Amino acid sequence: MRMNQQINKSTRFRVLSEDQIEQIFYSALEVLERTGGDIFHDEALELFKNSNAIVKGNRVRIPTFMVEEALNFYPRKITLKGRNGKRSLHLQKDTVAFGTGSDLPFTYDRETGERRRTTWNDVNNAARLVDALSNYDFFMSHGIVGDAPNPQTYDRHQFMAMLEGCTKPMVLTSVDGEGLEDLWKMSCLIQGGEEEFRLNPLFVAYIEPISPLKNDRTAVEKLLLAAEKKIPAMYTPCPSSGATAPATIAGMLVQSLAETLLATVLCHLKNPGMPLIMGGVTTLLDMKMSTYSYGAPELSLASAANTDISKWLNLLMFSTGGCTDAKIVDEQAAAEQMMNLFYSYLSGANLIHDVGYIDHGTNASLESLVLNQEMMGMVKQFGKGINTDDEHLALDLIEKQGPGGEYVTTDHTFDHWKEWYRPELQDRSDYETWKKNGSKTMTDRVNERTQHLLDNYQPEPIDEKLKEELKKIVDDADKRHS
Amino acid sequence: MIQRTNYTIQESPHFEILSEDQKERIFNGMMRTLQYTGANVHHEGARELFKKAGCKTDGVRVYFPPEVILQALSTVPPVTEIFPWDGDESKKITVEKKRSYFGPGPTPPNFIDTDTLERRPYLRKDASLVARVCDALPNMGYVQSLGSISDVTNGLADVYEFADMIRNTTTPIMSWSFERDGVYDQHRMAIAMAGGEEEFKQRPNFIFYGEPISPLVSDYHAIDKCMYCAEHRIPQVYSPCAIGGGTVPATHAGQLVVALSESMVGVIAAQLISPGTCVIIGGVQSILDMQYSIYSYGAPELSLLSAAHTEAVHYCGLPMYSTSGCTDTKKMDVQSAMEASLSINAAMMSGANFVHDNGYTESGLTGDVFQTVLDDEIIGMARVVERGVEVNDETMAVEEINNVGPGGHYLYEDHTMKWFREHWRPSLMDRNAYEAWVEQGEKTMKDRVLEKTRDLINNYEGPRDKVPGKANEEIEKILKESEERIKKASGNKAQNK
Repeated sequence: MRMNQQINKSTRFRVLSEDQIEQIFYSALEVLERTGGDIFHDEALELFKNSNAIVKGNRVRIPTFMVEEALNFYPRKITLKGRNGKRSLHLQKDTVAFGTGSDLPFTYDRETGERRRTTWNDVNNAARLVDALSNYDFFMSHGIVGDAPNPQTYDRHQFMAMLEGCTKPMVLTSVDGEGLEDLWKMSCLIQGGEEEFRLNPLFVAYIEPISPLKNDRTAVEKLLLAAEKKIPAMYTPCPSSGATAPATIAGMLVQSLAETLLATVLCHLKNPGMPLIMGGVTTLLDMKMSTYSYGAPELSLASAANTDISKWLNLLMFSTGGCTDAKIVDEQAAAEQMMNLFYSYLSGANLIHDVGYIDHGTNASLESLVLNQEMMGMVKQFGKGINTDDEHLALDLIEKQGPGGEYVTTDHTFDHWKEWYRPELQDRSDYETWKKNGSKTMTDRVNERTQHLLDNYQPEPIDEKLKEELKKIVDDADKRHS
Repeated sequence: MIQRTNYTIQESPHFEILSEDQKERIFNGMMRTLQYTGANVHHEGARELFKKAGCKTDGVRVYFPPEVILQALSTVPPVTEIFPWDGDESKKITVEKKRSYFGPGPTPPNFIDTDTLERRPYLRKDASLVARVCDALPNMGYVQSLGSISDVTNGLADVYEFADMIRNTTTPIMSWSFERDGVYDQHRMAIAMAGGEEEFKQRPNFIFYGEPISPLVSDYHAIDKCMYCAEHRIPQVYSPCAIGGGTVPATHAGQLVVALSESMVGVIAAQLISPGTCVIIGGVQSILDMQYSIYSYGAPELSLLSAAHTEAVHYCGLPMYSTSGCTDTKKMDVQSAMEASLSINAAMMSGANFVHDNGYTESGLTGDVFQTVLDDEIIGMARVVERGVEVNDETMAVEEINNVGPGGHYLYEDHTMKWFREHWRPSLMDRNAYEAWVEQGEKTMKDRVLEKTRDLINNYEGPRDKVPGKANEEIEKILKESEERIKKASGNKAQNK
């Protein structure tokens, strides 16, 4: 044993120095005092008017001390419990959870190969895959239920499709405040009441402002409801650098931080102590193609920098990874998804969403979900770092085997090779074996695995009585909106 | 403009696997191993050299006391420069801690034919093709051949490869050879390109690659070539391909101790011969797949070991030869893309100096220049992260945020016009909207890589015309002499029988 030994138990990574984070923070405060943000919601404007903020029309400007006060009240730990009863999702500094994105309008039909509108079944299939694949920690809907009876209530149907397929904790989108309330009520039924939900939340509500610095009615409505009921929620800007945010990464971070801080003050005014999570899809507008890029390296860099800021603020972070601009699951998809998975993991963001997105967030692909299972596994293996205790340094063994020796037959190898990553889909056979087995590409293997899971995997079913009660909430909503 | 004091910035991201204490442990493990376990050196001249410096020897075994190792480490140069032969400063290599150059790798027996896409033996024409393609790629900082030529006189693949490559790229190349004679021929060709022996010493234009054998063995030719390079101040790599669970321990820390120790033998020899000569260590660090018994080039452990090894090697004050962009799959596909993406980004974050094997498929048995072209794009992306986030008044854009205001947009701001040019522009990654992509023929990444590569092969001429006539003649002469040498050697062999 040696004294005073400091060991890295994992990789360490950061983009910004503390001084740089402070600079960005000061600039965001400057934006809030000088420029402010627009809010299109009466109650929220009232809350600000009754505070030390300055309200002119829809424009709200906020003094720094209000931000600093609000920041003191946000929890640094949130633990979610899926309907499987496991408190499996621990949101706290530098713990990383991976999950899908949500609401993709299109899907590749696995039978016809054609692109078509996403349906209830597609969402349910994605749910089952996410439940089956071990590296997914939470589930967002992946696709949008496009065949719901009414677009005003699609979120409740979507939640049912998700719940029936997946027992893990979730991140949910909602149509409006009323929709969010229904999703919350359904979740309270599952968790055993409002109080239990508060300590064992099933989901986090996904809410987003409109960059730059605009907060529309439904977003604020959801935010205030979440504050009131203490529903964990993320207020997550999707700025596109060069269009809805400055073309510089630092400028984009300043603006999206100002957007986040405005929400922290608002929620604090409504009900101190709500579990608010910081977030963002911070990427750029491709100026040539006019598309919002999910594969740009700037997304990786800006997201990791944003996570640095969140950790400095003691806020939990909802980040982005495993996504691509490629239209299909090809070499581009693999390269881009691996890259942003890698940096989002290294950065230590808490919830990394959009895993499996292709076609810059318009197309759902079940194969992509399956491929990312392998990539997340590889990234996590990398993140384990290097063990340098005596057993792993193995100096005695090195001496014993000596120059020119071998290690294949040693007990030490037998004991430790199990620490290595075991691929599920990567091919490591030799050329002849590979030929003999049909010269399969990764795409072939991903397809086979996807089909196998779809044919065979069934999640733990929902209790029939509970299911009836859940359905009643959905039916009631449909009736109200018919 | 607000001026700030006590202000430290992270100009590029901070990435680290090992703590200082952990690096010290691996370093001490290396010191202990070289002192008490020692290494086998199958070269009498080298053993004499070590003995004279204070090492104990026992048969082929050499035991290196700490003072010999520390003395060698005290003379390794902190900075070395390597120059393109045409004087193009933009392609100059600065060998210095945390500065990365990526390139292909040496010597696989097979090559993916660029016309038929079938795997076949590597041919002489492939060497100049690879050199030319890499010359055109923006992110290939140095060049290796991606193969071992099968269709020239036996024993001269190394010399022909060098002759063809150096004339088809100005990007500095990294060569290998069977024996001392090969590097001697290459050295003479490099001198011809540099315009004289003194000029070469001042402005070396290639790097030599040699390897010890794990665990802890330097065979005759490896150390003999290493000594030749040191004598002539040729920057060189001396690094093993260590196989975790096969030729080194299955635990990563143990693997790094062995890999570091065996490389250090070359460092010590080179520094004893010529203090201050450039030696780069590192090598391929990966594991033996226990199911298929292959040396995995796509395992996440390769990325992890290589990045950690980079830290250990830099801790010793030496430059690092690392690995990325390679795969276990047989040809470029989705698997090779994801494996390459992981290893390239990891290598970039580690700050390794030379990162090789970009373009290896089939676990290092096949060279695939299409994979190299794909890797080049991924390296470009990783460079964006390497550059970090610039934080200052202009980039934080508080003025512009205020001018645009809530609900506005930035499309026509001068600030946007100026700064969006800094955004990375893909050459292969598709960012079309779906409809445009369909209209353009639903091309996959593979289609685009094939197109780009073949376009370079057919239309990019490379620097062949710029090669000075005298150098050309000299190289042809050296090739003829090397043929004579082999003829003579095989004649001698026949006589000895």
